[in-house]
This record gives sequence, structure tokens and C-alpha cells, in this order.
Amino acid sequence: MKLFSVSHKTAFVVDHCPYMAESSRQQVECDVLTKSRGQGVIPLAPVSKSLWTCAVECSMEYCRILYDNWPQHMIILNFLILNFLQVNYIVSDSEFHILNSWRQEDQSTHELMSALAAVGPPNPREDPECCSVLHGLVAAVESLCKITEYQHEARTTLMDTADRVANRGRIICLTNAKSDTHVRMLEDCVQETILEQNKMAASSDRLMPIQQCELVLVHIFPQGEDTLVSDRPKKEVSSLLTSEVHSVRAGRHLATKLNILVQQHFDLASTTITNIPMKEEQHANTSANYDVELLHHRDAHLDINFDFLSSLLLCCVGDLHMAGSTSRDSGLKETVTLKWCTPRTNSVELHYCTGAYRISPTDVNSRPSSCLTNFLLNGRSVLLEQPRKSGSKVISHMLSSHGGEIFLHVLNSTRSTLEDPPSISEGCGGRVTDYRITDFGEFMRENRLTPVPETLDADASEKIPSERAKAQLERHTRYWPMIISQTTIFNMQAVVPLANLIVKESLSEEDVLTCQKTVYNLVDMERKNDPLPISTVGSRGKGPKRDEQYRIMWNELETLVKTHVGGSDKHQRVLDCISACRSKPPEEEERKKRGRKREDKEDKSEKNCNKDTEDKSWQESERLKGALDREKEEQVESEVIKDSPDSPEPLNKKPRLEEIQLPEKAKGPVSLLTMWTNRITVANSRKHQEFAGRISSVNNKAELYQHLKDENGMDLHENGKAAR
Amino acid sequence: MPTVVLMDASLSMTRPVSLDQGSEELQRKNLAVAGLTMLFEHMASNYRLEFTSLVAFSSLWELLVPFTRDYNTLQEALSNLEDYDKTCLEAALHGVSNVVQQEWGHACPTQVVLVTDGSLGIGKGSLRHSLQTLKQRPEDKKFPLPFPFPAKLFIMCIASAEELQMTDTMDNLEKLLQLNGGDGQIFTMEGQLCLKSVQSMFGRLIDAAYSPFHAVLRCGNLTSDVQVFPRPEPVFLDQEVDPLPKHVLTDLEIVGFIEIGDISSPPVISRHLVLPIAVSKEVDDVGAGAPEELEEETSANQQAGKAPNFCVLLHGSLKVEGMVALVQVGPEWHGMLYSQADSKKKSNLMMSLFEPGPEPLPWLGKMSQLGPISDAAENPYGEDDSRSPFPLQPPVKRSYAQNVTVWIKASGLQTDVQKILRNARKLPEKTQTFYKELNRLRKAALAFGFWELLKGVAELLERECTLLPDTAHPDAAFQLSHAAQQLKLASTGDSQYSLFEHNINPMHTDFSGGGVDILL
Repeated sequence: MKLFSVSHKTAFVVDHCPYMAESSRQQVECDVLTKSRGQGVIPLAPVSKSLWTCAVECSMEYCRILYDNWPQHMIILNFLILNFLQVNYIVSDSEFHILNSWRQEDQSTHELMSALAAVGPPNPREDPECCSVLHGLVAAVESLCKITEYQHEARTTLMDTADRVANRGRIICLTNAKSDTHVRMLEDCVQETILEQNKMAASSDRLMPIQQCELVLVHIFPQGEDTLVSDRPKKEVSSLLTSEVHSVRAGRHLATKLNILVQQHFDLASTTITNIPMKEEQHANTSANYDVELLHHRDAHLDINFDFLSSLLLCCVGDLHMAGSTSRDSGLKETVTLKWCTPRTNSVELHYCTGAYRISPTDVNSRPSSCLTNFLLNGRSVLLEQPRKSGSKVISHMLSSHGGEIFLHVLNSTRSTLEDPPSISEGCGGRVTDYRITDFGEFMRENRLTPVPETLDADASEKIPSERAKAQLERHTRYWPMIISQTTIFNMQAVVPLANLIVKESLSEEDVLTCQKTVYNLVDMERKNDPLPISTVGSRGKGPKRDEQYRIMWNELETLVKTHVGGSDKHQRVLDCISACRSKPPEEEERKKRGRKREDKEDKSEKNCNKDTEDKSWQESERLKGALDREKEEQVESEVIKDSPDSPEPLNKKPRLEEIQLPEKAKGPVSLLTMWTNRITVANSRKHQEFAGRISSVNNKAELYQHLKDENGMDLHENGKAAR
Repeated sequence: MPTVVLMDASLSMTRPVSLDQGSEELQRKNLAVAGLTMLFEHMASNYRLEFTSLVAFSSLWELLVPFTRDYNTLQEALSNLEDYDKTCLEAALHGVSNVVQQEWGHACPTQVVLVTDGSLGIGKGSLRHSLQTLKQRPEDKKFPLPFPFPAKLFIMCIASAEELQMTDTMDNLEKLLQLNGGDGQIFTMEGQLCLKSVQSMFGRLIDAAYSPFHAVLRCGNLTSDVQVFPRPEPVFLDQEVDPLPKHVLTDLEIVGFIEIGDISSPPVISRHLVLPIAVSKEVDDVGAGAPEELEEETSANQQAGKAPNFCVLLHGSLKVEGMVALVQVGPEWHGMLYSQADSKKKSNLMMSLFEPGPEPLPWLGKMSQLGPISDAAENPYGEDDSRSPFPLQPPVKRSYAQNVTVWIKASGLQTDVQKILRNARKLPEKTQTFYKELNRLRKAALAFGFWELLKGVAELLERECTLLPDTAHPDAAFQLSHAAQQLKLASTGDSQYSLFEHNINPMHTDFSGGGVDILL
């Protein structure tokens, strides 16, 4: 259906002239006496509805079904106008009364009921000469020209192509016409008014010219009378206007007629759920089976297969035959029958569902209907089965409520074109077994979504919630190793507080403190020489030594925190804390590079010492051997062996150095942190020799690649690879 | 999207193709087979999961190969194809319609590849005749197009456009396409009829309908190259408002995660497998530096099997946690990723696409308004995951969720009146429910302008009052006559008493111990 079809706007015009106060002559016995109290009591005389009451309650029913089946804001906006007249006793002057507007707040049955009560029934003593349904029809055309919120929104978003938003509408007029000529006069009047209004609308921003209008005239007459107006199917009055006439007896027939109309107008179809077991009020331990009829969009029947449909047609014919005596209208009723399958489990399952349509029970306050809807509203889902005489059972639909709205889900019941796909374990990455499945599950829980209420004064600079969700995902994944053997820190309980906090967009003082505590805790662990959960995959022997493990861990932690440093000063402070606390100051990286350069030159193995190359432990150890050889001659260079964070620890001992050098030159009063850092640094520096570059540095800056000047030409070392 | 290849096996297909060289005599049929062979080979290596069937037709039609992924079988059947009599397309299209519906039902989008030489028969049963008699047919002998399922019709003509335009063949084929809702394309051969031009024609078909859809799946900085199968088709929303189709972007960006229970079996327009692929770049890195083709591919796949892939991680966690990932596939277009189990052993990462639009699922609200939980003041899922922010409640309750009054059937009215009377007999214990029901009836009667009912019920209450037994609580009589009087006043239409929002309140009496005091 088009977004702006004739069904987008419906204007109801209900005649309020004195004649409508006539009785419909259909009597309702509302005093049903029970046997025990019957004696000696005179029952109340049956009441009968007026034509007005019949018209109003049937149009309300039309609205109810409509409101149940469509989202409030989208396709349909309903409108009710009554031709209401006020007679001044000097001049008979008629007026119309508009009950609601296209605005969304007005679109509910409660609002309409309240407005209807204010109008009240027509006064039979008024002069019938001075009122006419015409005023209502004119007002209806005027209202169709008025723009709805949804049209306005669409026009605003489309900008240049705003003219693609069409303006179509339908007028349903419930009246008592005098004759076919009278009907023709009403049609002409509507046609003229449309032309007039379109002229006005062309020059207005708040109005839109009508492109298409459907006039549905329903002539109501009391039971037992003959109609003066004949039925007429839809015909074109002009390119703008089509018109149809229905002549219906008040009461039951009118209700059936409007029920058929609402189905036609809004593409609805009917499904009857059969075999619903319900407890009897009188006999609580027995249950009987009931049927409930639902209306919903007809697309919910799209998937039902042909043999099934043909058997259904037979059903309909049968029904027609049986109902033949009652009325022609009721015989038109087509319904698809689906069988209730009592739910056995409450497990949540993701069904392959090709459509979900809102429903409305045809008989909303009957006991079986309310039983079914309450069951569903309480959160249970029911599968529905196609009744078949033979073969396996086919579950084709599901009834389920979502937040107080019931939907009929269409489930796929045919063969899937995606059957027998290759398993995910056969594809890329399928052979890897140590994915961090649980950790990623935790990550997903943290990145669940929640609806954020729309704020009216939304700051334009502020990101919309879904963009913020994506930004959060980006932050959380800046450093996220996918497999267990790729990471140390995420396998450590002790790092969790820091890892959880550092990904935040902004940190509080308290957060920084927690992070720092985590770091101190790690320092403590290192001091105590606690084991680390380092993966031994890919390395020979027992894996890296304890202090190398810590180096790897610190490097990884630094990598994690570094990716967030751009975020704020507080993130930087966490990094500073790590740099200060860890056993290996970051300057070492530079030292390493330089050392490696030299090593390359000297080492005959000519290994490419790409810092980022991981898992090349054999290369490392090769290099290590060379380094160890050199160690005797050049003790200064022994640090070279330390390489990329993930490479395993070489098996050799490290030199112990006695000399103490303080890398930091503290100025001013010494803080606790500095003292602690110094202590650690001092302790650590005992374990290794200070970088030669730093010893000879000026202002903590050392010139790199000095050797290039002294020794061979530049050509040999351009890329850090020896060309020899 | 399954494919039906509808192959013309009529005698005219055996017409020789005039070649200048005069070397080997080629029939049009040979060209058609060569083209289809190319298509099958392409599918076998790049579009392996497609189900294809082969139907041959002349005056009759025959299903040569039912839907299969075994392209050798298709190829074999093609090479054993025999020649038959005249062309009768209508019957063949009926056949296609039956074959598809039997296998896939009515909702599965299908591609029909019709291969013909463009001589569409003469007299009764010819396409020309079928199209001419289109409107004069009884209900049970309708033309098979449009198919009852969504279908794309590709017409591969082993003829040049000029040749087809000389007769009315082209017009008829175009009409055929129109009957199918315009979804499809007519391909003709360019230049001379030879192997090269038939291959170029089928090449165009492959580009249009059978090229694999490659995309990048992103979750923040975690990414994976993927193939999406079947190819996501462009979607038309409302052609009047937006005549351009919506396409799925090659960047599939995860927005966040939602529990399966919260997304609760949403309606989807299509389902696709998301298969991680090794991009050729990586193959180069591994050092397989050779041409391409099958052996390399398998070795590359083996390598790729060992490198961690985000899809596998995501799939594993979605499966374990029972969650779905909400993924954005275009502007105002979303889908969900989840683990789909085919059997106990095999499971896969699947993507379902929602209807494009800002709010495809009413119970989730607007997609753009879904934000991270850290945005909320307190965790909407609760500290122990006991709560959920979903589903959203609609602004207005549906009729079945509120206590509406409908009196269209007499029984509805009778039930409501009886409810009041039942409570009236149990006054004062039932004072509260009595007035609740009374007010509900009053409101509806006022709205429907049904004043006569108000008077009637007032009389009924007065009668109940006279029928009260001696043992009745004195309060009962007071309440009944008070209620009756109020209804009568309302039925006069006097604005003072007939306000819709006004409620009849229980009368304040001095009898202690009654249920009345509780109310006041």
C-alpha cells in the first residue's frame, strides 16, 4: 500500500438531524431474569437504539478495529465529524461540530467517546428543514485539505521533492438520505467543494489540494421500512472523486456492513483461531474448546498454500449455505481457520518470521476473546497450526504480544533456500579454538542497547543515541585481542578494574584512582613474583621467565591504555602511572631500536629484526645467542635481547648490575608517587644495565643512529636492512 | 534465491549459425549450452549455495533436474538435451510456476533464466497468441505471469536485437517482462552469433544477478571480510514517495546487542548467510604468489582457517549468550546477526534484514534512539539482569488491553447490565465494583447517545431496591436509589449531570462497618 493512499485520512460524517433520533426498531432485551427470581416481577420493557446510536456505535467499532490494526503515527489518522446543528429560533442556522483533529493525541477511541458524549443525541423536536448533512460534508472536504503530522514530516524530510507526498482521503458519511436524487446532490456538492478547496489549498502552506477522494455514503433506515435509496457500487464522479452508496438497515446489518467496509478499506482479513481450550466458569476442572475471530492485515495470509485455500473456499461455501437464511452480508464472511497449539515450554526462540501484523478481535469483549487476549498480554506466545486432514503438521503462524500490542507473526513453513550451509567451523578462522567467547559475551552485555527517550531540546551537536552506541563499540574495541593466547592482561583478574574503566569516554577522579590502584597491585604482584597466565602456545620449553612475563604484561597494558590516551588528561594520567611504575621505562623502546641497528650490523645472521614480527621465537633466540656472545665484549648492549611484547623470554640469564642510576631527575618536593616510582626504578635498574644512550643523553634526549655517521655509508642501512 | 533455467528445446534451436569461416557448423543450441555451461561453472565456484533446476520445453515441458547444488548433474543434463518440436512458452511458464511452488512455496523470491532463440512459435500456443488472448480467459486458464511468488525473469536470446526487432518478438518479450511486474531483463547477443558473444551475454547476466556480494562486517575496530549470500536485493519502499531503490551497503556496521527474548522473533524481509572470506591480499601475504583458481584457493582457505576471524568469535558469543547483534546496513535500514543452527553440529552466522525505515519493530522503538546502556542513569537491565527496557509500550492502549464497551451484539449489552445487577444484590460489600460497572455503562450510553438505556437501568435499580430482602444492609437501599437517581439525571442530557468525564460516586452514609467508608 502507498504511504499516502486514500486510507491515510478518513473523515467520518454522521448525520445529526432530527430524523436520526428515530428508533431503529430493533429491540434489545436488557433485563434477563433468572429462573429463581422470575416470579412476580414484571420485566423491564426492551430498549431500542435510535438510528443515531446505531450509527455512532458502528462507526466507533470501525475506528476501534482501525486503531488496533495500525500504528498510531503512521498510515492512518482518523477524523470524525458530526453534522451537528444548532437552531436559533430566529434564523435557522446550522453548524457542524468537529470532534477531533488529525493530531496524534486525538487519535483514540476514548477521545472520540468523550467528544461524542458532549454532542449528545439529536433533538427530535428540531425543525428538520433547517439542517442538512451538507454542512458536515463540506467540513469533511475542508479537513481533508488540512495537512497531517505525518504528511508534514514527510514533506519536511523530502525537501525538494515534497510534491511526491500525495493527499488522498476518504469520507464515510452515515446519513438518512431522502432519495437517489438527494444522493446525487450530495455527490455534486462534495465535488464542487473539492474544486473550491483545492484552489484555496494551492496557495497555502498548511493546506494540500486533494488528489483523490473516495466518498462512501451509507444510507441508514429503520427496520421494517423500505429503503428509498438504492445501492450503487463505486463509480467515478470525476478524476478527483469516486462515490459509492450502501443502503443498510440500522442495527445488526449496519454493524456487519461497516465491518466489511473497514476490511476492504484497510486491506484486512479474518482468521479464526479454533480449539482454544478454556476453563468453564461453572465447572472449573473441565475445559471446552472455543473459537476466536481476529482481524488483521491480509498479508498475513500470503503464505498459506493453495490446496489449503481451496479447502477453505469449500468451507466458506458451506458456511454460506448454512447462513443463507439469515442474511446476505454475513455470508460474505471469509475466514482462515488456524488451530491453537498449546504452548509447552516458555523457552525463548528466534523464529524465522516473514511478517508480523497487529490484530483486533472482531468481538472484543466476548469471554473467549478476552480470555485469549489476556493470555497473550501476559507474555505467552502461541503457535498456530494449519488444519490438515493428512500429512505432517504445519506451524504457519504465531500469536505474541509485544508491550501490550498483539501481533500475528507469519512463520516460514516452506523449505529454506539456505539449508545445509557450510558450518562456520569450516570457514575462515574456523580452526582456531581459543577464541575469547566468554569475554566477548561479557563485551556484548556491556554493549546492549536501550531506548533513549527523545529530547525535544536536543542539542544539534550531540550525537544521536545509535551513533553514541557505535562510538562506544569503537572505544571498547581499540585493543581487543580475539584469542586467549594473544593476550595476558585480559586473562588476569587483577587487571579487570582498569580494563573496564579505561574504555570509558571520560574518567572520574575515583576511576583514575582505581586504575592507579590496579597498577600498584600489579607492581606488588611483580615484586612477589606471582605467576602470570601467559600462554605457552607457540613457544618451546617452559615458556618465558617470570620477569619477561611481566614485561610482556606491562607492554600489553601500555598498548591498551595508549589507545585511549587521546580521550582525556585523566587517561593520560593512567598511562603515566603505568610508565612510571612498570619495570621497564618506555624509553627502552628507543634504546632497543638503536641496539638492534647495531646488532644487525654486527650479527652475521642478518636477521630482519622487525619489531612487530611476532611468534618468531627462533629468530629471537638466534639473535640472543649473538647478543650473548657480544655480551662479554660489550656489556652495554645486553638489553638488545628484549624484543616485542609477545615474544617469549630467552632462556638465558640476565646480567645483574650493581650500579644504580636514577633516570628521573626529580625537582621540587618529592611526591609519594615519585618516591615509589624511584624506588621501583632503582630496584629495577639493579636488574639491568642502563641504556647507553640515556647515560650520554642531554635533557633525556639521545641522538639516534650515531653509528651511521661513524661507520659505513648511508646506502647500506636505508631500510634498516643490511644490503650485503 | 533459487534459479530455474528454462531451456528452449524446440526444433528452431537447431538452426545453424552462419559463420564466415565455415569451419565447424554451430547450432544456436550449441551456443545456448555454451552460455549455460559458463553460468554453471561460475555458480559452482562463486555462487555455490544457489539451488538451480533445469526445465526444458517445446510444446511440452519437462523437469530435467530438480533443484540442486550439484552443478555436474546440471551440466550433464544439458549436454544430453534432445531436440523436440515447436515452442510453446505459456505451458512452460506454467511448469516453472508449479516446480517453484512445490519446492519453495509462495513467498520465496526466484530467478527464472529463459534461454531461447526468439522464435516463439506460431498459431495457438505461441507467445503472440497467448498475449493476444490475455484478457479473454476464464479464471482457471489464466496466463502464468505474474508468478504467484516474487520472481525475476531473465530472457537470454540466442539472437541479436536487430533480428528480434524485425518481427514482433521483441515487443512480445517486453510485454512478458511487464506482465511479471517489470522485474527482470532481456539480454540479446551483440555482434555476430558466436561463442565469444554468447559468453559476453552470459557474462552480463552473471554481473547482473550472480556476482557474489562482498562486504565488511564491523564492530568498532574489529572487522571481518564477509560474503553475504544470497545477494541482498535492492528494496523499493513506496515508489511514489521515494522512487529510488534502497541498497544494502558494503559496510555492515554493528550498532549494539539485544537479547533474543527482547527482539522476539521480528518480521524480516530476507535472510542471508554471512560467510567470512579471506581477502586475496592476505593470500598474497601468505606467499601463495601464483595465478588463482581452485588449489590456491583451498590452500588459502586452510591458512585462513587458522587465523582468528571476528565472525567466528561473534558467532560463538551470540550463540552462547542467546543474543543478536543489531547491524546497520544502510541509512535507516537495519538487520540482525545471530547464530542459526542447521543441525546439532552445524551452525552459522546469519543476517536477517528488517523492513527499511526508521522504526521497523514497534517494540524496539526508533532504531536511531537505541543508545548504549551507559547513557541511562541506571542500568535498564538491572544489576542482576532481571529487567529489560524492552518491549516499549505503545502510547495508546489497544482496544483489547483496555476495558472497552461494545454493544453491537445484544449479548454485550445484556452482560453489562447483568454485571451491574449482580453487584447491586451484593451491596454494600460490592460497592466499589458496582459503581465501577455503573460508570462504565453510563459513559458508553452518553457517548452513543443512548439515553433510553440510562432510564431503563435506573428503573431496574429502583426495582432491585424494592426487592431487597429484610435482612439486607440498610446501606444497599440508599446506594441503589442514589445510583438510579443519578442515571435519570444523566439521561435528561442536562449538561450538569451528563458530563462524560463525570463519575457517579457512592453516596456517603453514616452506616459504619459498610464498605463505603473504605472508599471515602
